[in-house]
Order: sequence, then structure tokens, then C-alpha cells
Amino acid sequence: MIKEIKPTVFVVDDDAAVRDSLRMLLKSVGLPVEVFESGQEFLDADRDDRPGCLVLDIRMPGMSGLELQVKLNERHSILPIIFITGHGDVPMAVEAMQAGAVDFIQKPFRDQDLLDRINQALEKDAGSRRMLAERNMIRKRLESLTPREKEVLDLVVAGKANKVIAGDLNLSQRTVEIHRARVMEKMEAHSLAHLVRMVLEVERTDD
Amino acid sequence: MHDDNHPSTATGARGAAVPHSNEAELEFKALLDAAVDAIIVIDHRGHIEQFSLSSERIFGYSAAEVIGQNVDVLMPKPYQAEHNAYMDRYQATGEARIIGIGREVKARRKDGSVFSCELAVGKVQGVVPPRYVGFIRDITLRKLADERLRRSESELRLAQQLANLGNYVEHIDRSEPDYHSPQLCRILGLDATDLTFSLRDLLTRLAHPADREKLNEAFADLASPAGAFDCEYRVVLGDGTTRYLHHIAQVTRDAHGTALKHIGTVHDVTDRRQSEDEARQLQERLTHFSRLSTMGEMAAGLAHEINQPLSAIATYAQACQRFVRSPTRDDADVLEALEQISVQALRAGEVIRRLRNFVKNREVKREPVDCNRLLDDLRTLAETDARLHNVRLRIDAAAGLPTVYADPIQLQQVVLNLVRNAIDAMSEMPESRREVVLSTVIRAEGEIEIIVADRGSGLAPEATEHLFNPFFTTKSGGTGLGLAISRSIVRAHGGRLWHTPNEVSGARFHFTLPASPASKGE
Repeated sequence: MIKEIKPTVFVVDDDAAVRDSLRMLLKSVGLPVEVFESGQEFLDADRDDRPGCLVLDIRMPGMSGLELQVKLNERHSILPIIFITGHGDVPMAVEAMQAGAVDFIQKPFRDQDLLDRINQALEKDAGSRRMLAERNMIRKRLESLTPREKEVLDLVVAGKANKVIAGDLNLSQRTVEIHRARVMEKMEAHSLAHLVRMVLEVERTDD
Repeated sequence: MHDDNHPSTATGARGAAVPHSNEAELEFKALLDAAVDAIIVIDHRGHIEQFSLSSERIFGYSAAEVIGQNVDVLMPKPYQAEHNAYMDRYQATGEARIIGIGREVKARRKDGSVFSCELAVGKVQGVVPPRYVGFIRDITLRKLADERLRRSESELRLAQQLANLGNYVEHIDRSEPDYHSPQLCRILGLDATDLTFSLRDLLTRLAHPADREKLNEAFADLASPAGAFDCEYRVVLGDGTTRYLHHIAQVTRDAHGTALKHIGTVHDVTDRRQSEDEARQLQERLTHFSRLSTMGEMAAGLAHEINQPLSAIATYAQACQRFVRSPTRDDADVLEALEQISVQALRAGEVIRRLRNFVKNREVKREPVDCNRLLDDLRTLAETDARLHNVRLRIDAAAGLPTVYADPIQLQQVVLNLVRNAIDAMSEMPESRREVVLSTVIRAEGEIEIIVADRGSGLAPEATEHLFNPFFTTKSGGTGLGLAISRSIVRAHGGRLWHTPNEVSGARFHFTLPASPASKGE
């Protein structure tokens, strides 16, 4: 249901041979692949919100791999990045990792090493996207609450008993119970614990 | 006629022998005065009777001063006494020591100075008592000339010895003996007594095998109508040592154009050649070393440049394996990957080939070089470094550039060195500014110019002063040889290397090279 678009491996490398060989390798294992010869070309193609991962050459003329990473972070892209580095690029790789890259691999590499990293990245991406989708769903449910139901929810999540909530909101205890039941229903919560987890999940990322 | 051997008595008064005829006397006087040699007539006692005009000139006495005096006033000390003894002996015995013989003696002028002269004495026939005529030739100048000649000969010998220069004259028709100077013999390791040899035969035998042909050609030139010989060659002497000779010779001909003799000099230039050889080898080693160190500085870029095709090859090969194992494989994919593998292997090989060409320790070899093509060839090497430092490399080639006669690798070395400096000069600059422009320009004076321009911060005034000094460097890992060697390479090619500030910012390094004569008109 969520995976309407198949995850794609995006390759950005200025060296035509390296780019093309990666395209063939990924084709040989049946992974959808798209290749780009510069960071700018990739940005222009607007692929950064697609499911998949990015295999990125760290050293390129014009926009370097690190610069593309910064731009993608600015766009709030969650696309995992695997950097390809040459000899002696360790300091750059460290910088890339600090900026959130999932991994790096040094050229030349064993195909299985790269494929393993790609699979891990795709899994991570799928996980992130699942989580993101879930959060969006929780947000939608929260938006469906009336202001009064929202007030009751906040106090329930704060751990207050119905009697206390009734006192705080100047409502009858019965009315609070009805609101509370509506909240549980609208939020599709199985239990109080589930409800609390959902709300915290959204609040944590909305700050 | 009077008998010479008859001792005569001292009876004749002075002037007794004077011709009686006044006219004859005048003629005799004129004769005496016309002579170049001093002519003096004395009587049997040695008293001067006639003293010619030239005598006056040579001795500084007037005739009036000396006539009647003993002739010994004209002689310096030891000769005076000897002369009187001769006179006495001759009078007594008739034994002639000088008459009719002539010899070299010393004479004394009025001012007391002594000079060398040639003296001939004759006896006047038919008078009693006998009288004698002396002919005296001042040979001071001739003696001086002789002395000078002797000295200049010995100086020449010394000069030849010091310069290690020998000379010779060989007569083609054998009309005169050949001359080979002692120094020539020494140079050729010959015994000075063994001077009868033909230089050509000897040299042909001694010549270094590699130079024999050259020597034969030179001798052929000598035999040609131009008749000139100028050749430098090596000889291997009897003791096994090798000498470098610079040999110049010429033919002299008579009015009919017949060759008469060969005149020549042989200069032993071994010491000079050897030190030149050593200097050249040192320079070449240094040039090579500098090339290696340039490559060392570029190692990271080169490693990257070779690593790219290698990693592409590895990835293609691995893709191939997967394609082949796949049940749904498409041979077209396999073929494509294999084709790319070979292309990339050649690409890596090409980088290595250029690298090897560049760093190889090789003989300097000049040939016609198209500088635009040279820059293009250089691109592979230069770009590895440029890419590593995120520097763009642009080539602005002038159309119709004449070729230059040069060593292509050394020229690449100069350009690469300038490009490396340009790249280093921009390491602190924002990426948008990092561009090196290589341009070629045709100059009006039959020269081409190559310019390497960067957009760095330019040269500090204190750096420009020492820029071309060996071991001067502004880089932490630099040898400081790059520019010094680049300049010496450019100079050796007849060009100049200098720098100017770039427009806005940075530096431009220029060098010129003379266009090959054949392509100047293009």
C-alpha cells in the first residue's frame, strides 16, 4: 500500500565509466537505477523525495558530493546517502558521516560490499518512510479532533484522571468520559499506552 | 805587383797611397760614401786613412776626428788588444786571421756603446806599405730580430704546450719535409723522434670507432674544392686513454689551384669536453629529479586517475558475473560490460603510459613540436591534479601555430610545473575562481608564446625577487627547483620565461620559443 513507487538507487558520479558500471551492476541484480553526472542534475530532477538511496561520488568538479549532501539536508530529504571515496579521502568521509551519511565505500570495491550497503540503505529508507507515513496518519487523526477533545487528550496524555480533568475543564465527569471515548476512537488507539505513544511520537518530531 | 809576404818598412808618409789623380780620388770618395756598410781604410800600422760617410753614421765619429788614429778606438776592450796582436802577427808571418774571411765582432761607438757587426777585411793590392779596407755592417737589428724569432719560437712552443694545441704542415708533393709540432706529438702520444708519419693514416688508426666515419668525411671535405677541415673526434691512444680532439685544417694551393700542403691545428679539448659532459649529465639528472618530484606532488591525483578506470573495470566485471549467472540473462548486457572493461583498461594504461613517458630518464631529443598538440597531450596529466583540487583547466589554442624545435618532454615539464604552481596558488580561493587558462599565442618576431594564467592571490613582491633561484620555495613540500629548471630549459631552447600580474588577480607565467625555421612562414 505504502510502496507504490519501487525504491530506486540514484547514482551521482562525474566519471562516465564509474557511473555506467554502477548502472550495469545494479541492473544485474534487478535494482531500478537512475544515474546523474552532477549534483545539480540530480537536484534539478527532483528525485530526493522518492524512495530509494543515493550512491554519491564525494569528489566531483563543480558541486562536490559534500555540497550536494548539504543541499539535500536543506531540502529535508531523508534519502540515505552512500558515499564513494577514493584513496586518502578519509577526512572527507568523516565529514560526510557527521552530516548524516549512512555509509561510505572506497573505490575500487567488491560488488557485494556495495550491494549490502545499498540494501541496508534501502531498508533504512523504507523504515524512515514507514515511520513518516505513520506520523502523518497520527497528525491527520489529531486534526480530526474537536478543540474540546484536544483539551481532553492533552490532559489524558499528561496522566490526569477523569475526575481531575472534569475539574480542570469545568465539565461533568460523564462528559469527560464521552470525549475520551471519542478521542480513543478517532485516534484508533487500542489502549491508553498506545494513545500516549502516538502523541509523543508526533510531538517529538514537531518541535 | 807587390808581394804580400814581403815585410815592408814603415816608410810611407800618410796619404802616400792616395790616388794621384784628383778625379780618381773623388770617384773613390763617392764610392765610399754611397756604401751602406761602413768602409774604413787603414795603413799597415792600423792608422785610419779613410772613414766613409756611413762610418760616421754608424760610429758617431766624424772623419776628421778619427783619421790618423789607431783603428782600435773603434773596438771595445778585449778586441783592441787582440787586433793589435793580429796586425803584428800578420806583418811578421803573413798569417791571416780575418782577411778574406769575414766574421762577427763587437765594435764601439764614439759614445762608448758596443754593438754587433759583421766585419770583412781586404788588403789593398799593389801598394807598399800595405793598406787594408774594412767593411763593417751593423747587425744590431738583425741580431734583435734573430733573438725575437728565437724567443717567439720558444713562446709558441710553451703556448702550444699550455693550450694543448699542436700544429703541423704536410706537403702533399713531398717537396719539403713535413712539420709536426712537438706538442702535436705529445697530444698523440708519440715519441718526438718519430716524426715521419702521415697524420691521416695515424689518426684513422687511432680514431674512436664511433668517430671514424666522421673523421673520414672530414678528410674527404679537405680533399674537396673548398678544402676545409673542421672536426671534433675522439682518439684512443696506445695507453688506452681517450682524448677529444678539435682538429682544423686547410689546404693551400698554387696559382693553378694545385693543392700544395695541408696546414692544421689539433687542439686537445678533453678536459673541456669532460667537464661539459659532467655538467650536462648533472643538469639532466637535476631536470629528471625535478620531473620526478613534480610527479610526486601529483601522486594523489594520478592515483585517483588510475583508480577510476580500475574501479569501473572491477564493477563491470562483477556485473558481468551476475549477468552470466542470471537465468534471464541478456547477452547484450554481458557484451556491453566486456567492451567497457577493455575500454577502461586501455584508459588506465594510457595514464600510465603518459606518466612513464614523463618520468623516464631519457636522452634529450629535439624534434618539431606542435605546442597546441603538446598541451592537449599534457591535459591527461595536468587534469588529474586539477580535478583533485577542484580546479578547471581551460586551453585557449591559437590557430595556425608554427611548430617549434624542442624536446617535447622537457616542454611538458615546464608547462606542467607552471600548471602545478597555478593550482597550488588557488588552493585558498573560492571554487568559482579556481581556473587555470593555458594559452598559445603567435608572436610577430617568429616566436610563439605559451601563457599559464591563474586567479590566485598573485605573487608577493618579496617572492618575485627570488622566484627563479634554486631551492627557493613558498610551498611546504616544494623542492624549489621547478621554476629554476623551467627557466633553464626554456633558455636552452632559445626562449625566455617571465611573469606578469593577471588581470584582476593572480599571476601569468609566459615563455617564448623560437618557431622552427621551416614553419615560420606559415
